[in-house]
Amino acid sequence: MLTLKTWIVQALFIFFTTESVGELLEPCGHIKPESPVVQLGSNFTAVCVLKEKCMDYFHVNANYIFWKTNHVTVPKEQYTVINRTASSVTFTDISLLNIQLTCNIRTFGQIDQNVYGIRIISGLPPEKPKNLSCIVNEGKKMMCQWDPGRETYLETNFTLKSEWATEKFADCKTKRDIPTSCTVDYSPVYFVNIEVWVEAENALGKVTSDHINFDPVDKVKPNPPHNLSVSNSEELSSILKLTWINSSIQSFIRLKYNIQYRTRDASIWSQIPPEDTASSRTSFTVQDLKPFTEYVFRVRCMKEDGKGFWSDWSEEASGITYEDRPSKAPSFWYKIEPSHTHGYRSVQLIWKTLPPFEANGKILDYEVTLIRWKSRLQNYTVNDTKWTVNLTNDRYIATLTARNLVGKSDAAVLTIPAYNFQGNLAESKCYLITVTPVYTDGPGSPESIKAYLKQAPPSKGPTVRTKKVGKNEAVLEWDQLPVDVQNGFIRNYTIFYRTIIGNETAVNVDSSHTEYTLSSLTSDTLYMVRMAAYTDEGGKDGPEFTFTTPKFAQGEIEAIVVPVCLAFLLTTLLGVLFCFNKRDLIKKHIWPNVPDPSKSHIAQWSPHTPPRHNFNSKDQIYSDGNFTDVSVVEIEAANDKKPFPEDLKSLDLFKKEKISTEGHSSGIGGSSCMSSSRPSISSSDENESAQNTSGTVQYSTVVHSGYRHQVPSVQVFSRSESTQPLLDSEERPEDLQLVDNTDSSVGNLPRQQYFKQNCSQRETSPDISHFERSKQVSSVNEEDFVRLKQQISDISQSCGSGQMKMFQEISVADAFGLHTEGQVERFETVGTEAAVDEGMSKSYLPQTVRRGGYMPQ
Amino acid sequence: MRAQLMRRTLLSLVLGLLFLSTPAMGSCLDNYQELLGQLQKQADFMQHTSMLLDPYISIQGLDKDGLKEHCQERPGVFPSKDVLQRLSRQEFLQILNTTLGHVLHRLRTLQKDILKAQDLEKLNIAKLNIRGFKNNIHCMAQLLPGSLEKTEPTPTGPGASPSPTPISDAFQRRLEGCRFLHGYHRFMHSVGQVFREWGQSLSRSRRHSPRRGLRKGKHRTHLSSRNKRLMPRGWLPR
Repeated sequence: MLTLKTWIVQALFIFFTTESVGELLEPCGHIKPESPVVQLGSNFTAVCVLKEKCMDYFHVNANYIFWKTNHVTVPKEQYTVINRTASSVTFTDISLLNIQLTCNIRTFGQIDQNVYGIRIISGLPPEKPKNLSCIVNEGKKMMCQWDPGRETYLETNFTLKSEWATEKFADCKTKRDIPTSCTVDYSPVYFVNIEVWVEAENALGKVTSDHINFDPVDKVKPNPPHNLSVSNSEELSSILKLTWINSSIQSFIRLKYNIQYRTRDASIWSQIPPEDTASSRTSFTVQDLKPFTEYVFRVRCMKEDGKGFWSDWSEEASGITYEDRPSKAPSFWYKIEPSHTHGYRSVQLIWKTLPPFEANGKILDYEVTLIRWKSRLQNYTVNDTKWTVNLTNDRYIATLTARNLVGKSDAAVLTIPAYNFQGNLAESKCYLITVTPVYTDGPGSPESIKAYLKQAPPSKGPTVRTKKVGKNEAVLEWDQLPVDVQNGFIRNYTIFYRTIIGNETAVNVDSSHTEYTLSSLTSDTLYMVRMAAYTDEGGKDGPEFTFTTPKFAQGEIEAIVVPVCLAFLLTTLLGVLFCFNKRDLIKKHIWPNVPDPSKSHIAQWSPHTPPRHNFNSKDQIYSDGNFTDVSVVEIEAANDKKPFPEDLKSLDLFKKEKISTEGHSSGIGGSSCMSSSRPSISSSDENESAQNTSGTVQYSTVVHSGYRHQVPSVQVFSRSESTQPLLDSEERPEDLQLVDNTDSSVGNLPRQQYFKQNCSQRETSPDISHFERSKQVSSVNEEDFVRLKQQISDISQSCGSGQMKMFQEISVADAFGLHTEGQVERFETVGTEAAVDEGMSKSYLPQTVRRGGYMPQ
Repeated sequence: MRAQLMRRTLLSLVLGLLFLSTPAMGSCLDNYQELLGQLQKQADFMQHTSMLLDPYISIQGLDKDGLKEHCQERPGVFPSKDVLQRLSRQEFLQILNTTLGHVLHRLRTLQKDILKAQDLEKLNIAKLNIRGFKNNIHCMAQLLPGSLEKTEPTPTGPGASPSPTPISDAFQRRLEGCRFLHGYHRFMHSVGQVFREWGQSLSRSRRHSPRRGLRKGKHRTHLSSRNKRLMPRGWLPR
């Protein structure tokens, strides 16, 4: 009571201390910030500033300030007195969405007075809108929607912005109740890309979604096709044709479709394969439908390229396929009733109506035919499902077909037995007993069973045979026994098999089998097998069958042979490869290289070519003494086609010389310098050379081919150290001459004959032509050079000075290997050559002749 | 040669100024083929008289026998197909842009005679389509290479002349509007054909050259990135 009085006094005091109403409402201070919006989980500081006037009046300062949130005093630890008039409070990790914060002072030590109050709103800044997508419903304006992100607890505005490259559209503001979508207020413009994005904004921030840029035509949801109709075809009972009208969007874009259908009473839709309806159309024929069946259809469409959205489904439309002839005969039965007329009986034929899926149309009537034994056919047309007829006591065959608009069904056949029919059942004979239920509306499904009056053992056993015989197993097979010999129900089979010396083994096999595999057999063994079939009354053996298991299993031989063959093949291959790799070694040891004389060549060099002392570094590779004597003899043939007899003679001489110098220094060319009978060009290395070649039969050949396919103009004699016998052409110079003649007749070139010799080259390579060799011989020592000159001077003594000079040139040049392809010059023969040759017969060296003169040696 | 250069410079200046007036907006489609396809399709559906002429005739009551015959294009109002085909691509785009600007202006005039909101909506859609077309022209101009293809002087044609002098007679005014729209649809048909020729020449050039599109080292390479705004620069270099 006292407390109450105190409060009343305080209140009155306050009331009376205020001078006016305005002053009464005037706050004693204020809080900053005034209306804060704080992010949830963040810190917040508010400052309360007292007015001086109030402070003086109440005798308070900032120290007297205390804070309350939602009427609860905030602990003083959170206060901070900034100065005499201001005090702040700090809240960490704001979690409440809505806080009432008041700044209070305690006046007179006991009266709490509220100075100012604010409301703190908490929330979250907007998240970036995601999944922005737009749709253009045909005939309507574009609508975009997005995922706004988390709840912000604040009022958040979403603005859909859109623009072209050249134009900006008005913002689309969302409605408060649907903040996740917005429909623009302008018509969509197809085929112009538009850029769209969303801005989300609240008191805590503004955020923009990703921009999307698209052609509105790619976001179209067309209106569904309309006026869908279904029509059938009289020609084909399995098709229905749909037609519809496309929406007006078709004038802008091409469409594709989904067509679904179902039978009237079905609930599940079937769909036409989409690839069949992937292009713009206004009709489609659905195939493989059942005849005379009602189908329901619906269609939808979308942009052909799949961009955009499917339209809604069209209104459903239905149609019935055309009739087809009944696919099955109606099942029917008969009832026989006694007739009043003697010799006749009343037979009622009854049948079932076909179900729609078999009738394939409306059944118009039924056609019944009756055939009596050896009598003619009688046809009756019946509209009902039963028909009564008086028949004689004979046996009849009745047929029934159902007919619709298209055609008739297959016929159902029924035998009506004769009146006095009685069966004589025999033992061990199989009977098929069929029972057909007859209901009021016709017969039901018949059931059949096989039966024997009495069983007996089979009259014949099954014949067994092998289907496949392996090393350790055999597959046996047999045929089911014919019904006539079964004499009962075959319960099982027994297979007996044995070897000649072994015990018989029996295996029981179920009667349903016609095949059995005997396993664990011994290989390469003769087996005897027989089989018995058993009824309930006993069994009967079949004939015996023999077979022999093979020694090897299938593929066993191949498994052995193939690897062996492969190994052999591999070995052979490796051997061949080895031989191929080591062919030089093998060739060296087994058959050394035998030169082919026919491939011998001799180089040509020209007396016109001045000797070149080409002592280059390359030439130095030849050691001293490798090249000692060189003589060159040229035989020039006359220009006429006929060979000179002197030439032939000289060739004979060569031949003779070859024989005479055999074992010493053989060969035509070789003898020119190596034989003692040829002092003119003999050299000091003669003997040495002879020794080097003593093991071989050296001979010369006459090369009658041009260098590198050039037309030969000269006949070249070359020395060879081959041990190979001379070829015919070489041994018969006549032939050679003939060839030469032929050549000369072809080419009207001046004919020359070179006879060149390299007597002392140690590393003999007999089949290398002189020309080639001369190229190889690249260095000659001074001694050789002097000796060569000496030889030349010897020759020149018997020749004209001019000719000698020429010869010198040739000899020296050749000796130093200066001849190259392009440097070979030809000497022309002169007419006097023949005479000179004759004079030279002893040395048998043809003479080198220069144009305009001939120098005999 | 000098005159030609001067002419090109002037053309570039005109087009540059034309598009300078356009504020920097969203990005253009940077695929030449796609953009050309869009232009073709736009021209295809804008040539249909159902877009403008037919409703206009119906609205203005000109769908009477004997009146339709008078609704024929007035020669010289729109460039002929022949003229359009002879223009270089840049010139063609410029003419197209200018002509469509005039069409827009004329449609605003025609709008005054349309009272029904439903009809106005149709007209507004048509205008928006034309603005969209102009947008694509702008984008195409940025994709084209800087060189003028045709160097020989070509008559630029009159273009769609600005709205004629006001006609006091209401009927004549309607008839003029009808003729104008008739010419507009014919013009768009020709435009579609020219764009189709562009497509054909592109496929031909592709057969002969592996170079993709017509971008020829121009600044604009990837316009899809949204920051590629229309820069204030000469529309046609050179």
